[in-house]
Amino acid sequence: MQKCGFCLDSNLNLNGAGQEKFGSMRFEGRVVLITGGIRGIGAAIGKRFLQEGAQVVVTYSQDHDQARKFHDELGSAKAEAHQADASDFDQMRALVDQIIERFGRLDILVNNAGIRRDNLVMFMSESEWHDVLQVNLQGTFVCCKLALKPMIAQRWGRMINIVSPSGIMGRQGQANYAAAKGGVASFTKSLAREVGKLGITVNAVSPGVIDTDMTRSLPEKILAELKQSIPLGYFGQPEDVSGTIVFLASEEASYITGQVISVDGGLT
Amino acid sequence: MQTPLLERNNLLSNLKELIVRTLRLEDVSPEDIVDAEPLFGEGLGLDSIDALELVVAIEREYQVEIPDAEVGRRAFASVNALGDFILEKSSAQKASDAVG
Repeated sequence: MQKCGFCLDSNLNLNGAGQEKFGSMRFEGRVVLITGGIRGIGAAIGKRFLQEGAQVVVTYSQDHDQARKFHDELGSAKAEAHQADASDFDQMRALVDQIIERFGRLDILVNNAGIRRDNLVMFMSESEWHDVLQVNLQGTFVCCKLALKPMIAQRWGRMINIVSPSGIMGRQGQANYAAAKGGVASFTKSLAREVGKLGITVNAVSPGVIDTDMTRSLPEKILAELKQSIPLGYFGQPEDVSGTIVFLASEEASYITGQVISVDGGLT
Repeated sequence: MQTPLLERNNLLSNLKELIVRTLRLEDVSPEDIVDAEPLFGEGLGLDSIDALELVVAIEREYQVEIPDAEVGRRAFASVNALGDFILEKSSAQKASDAVG
């Protein structure tokens, strides 16, 4: 039995998205969902997709002021922030349903929501372990699962999960975070194998030490050690990561799936 | 007004068309699909990736939910089983709408 190739369903209204435009508006007609998208790397990713023409929906957990700031800064009707817990099925299902109802499609999912609760394993509480696994690993599972049906119906989708050098190399004091991010990397590779034939790619990006609020919360001594271990000798900026994300979401990356791409100045 | 038998026969034909269209089966026509034959494994020989596409297509077309693999296995046992599943879910939905 043979099937034809991965032609896009002609019934879908692509608004020009099926044939990607090169240049600044290549994501026009695409709908992007980014979890944890109002600050740091997530906000940079949202901004980049918006600049390139996409409809951008981001989630945030609690900080309404920052969400307003994010929206004001972008100043576009094509970018919106919704309060939702990325690891909660009901909340995310409601948001994905709303996206489909309003925009008719969901093309690109970026699982960026993440938290850290660093501690040595000996002193790590059950809640420090659980909370980190819940947001980082469960959140990725929840959002990928919910994005699958619209993406299968479109026979086109891009899922990009944010992981970490901790999940690749391990890091003392981050056993919970490393376990979660390592789990996300393996999940990425497995899901890529499940859905590749349906026109959906699943990749992960591993930002190294990027200058964000989360990184700035690390002790000075650790930051200095980290800088020494980076071959390029400096911390990255959120914009360094967003370029790789939009590349993986583009047609140019259509033959890349199941990969973990490090954007870390050579750290790993 | 269609008789229940005619309604069921129409549904099975529509399902066969939907299977061929959704899975882009090039060398199978709807009439080739036997009502009682298994859709997966032997019979039509579909695989688990085909199942993902079919679940999405059936849910969209008939507004029924296939929430887990066990329900999917029952529903996709054959075209007959799939038709019965949709009729059963639709009548349950109608009854619930009538009550609500």
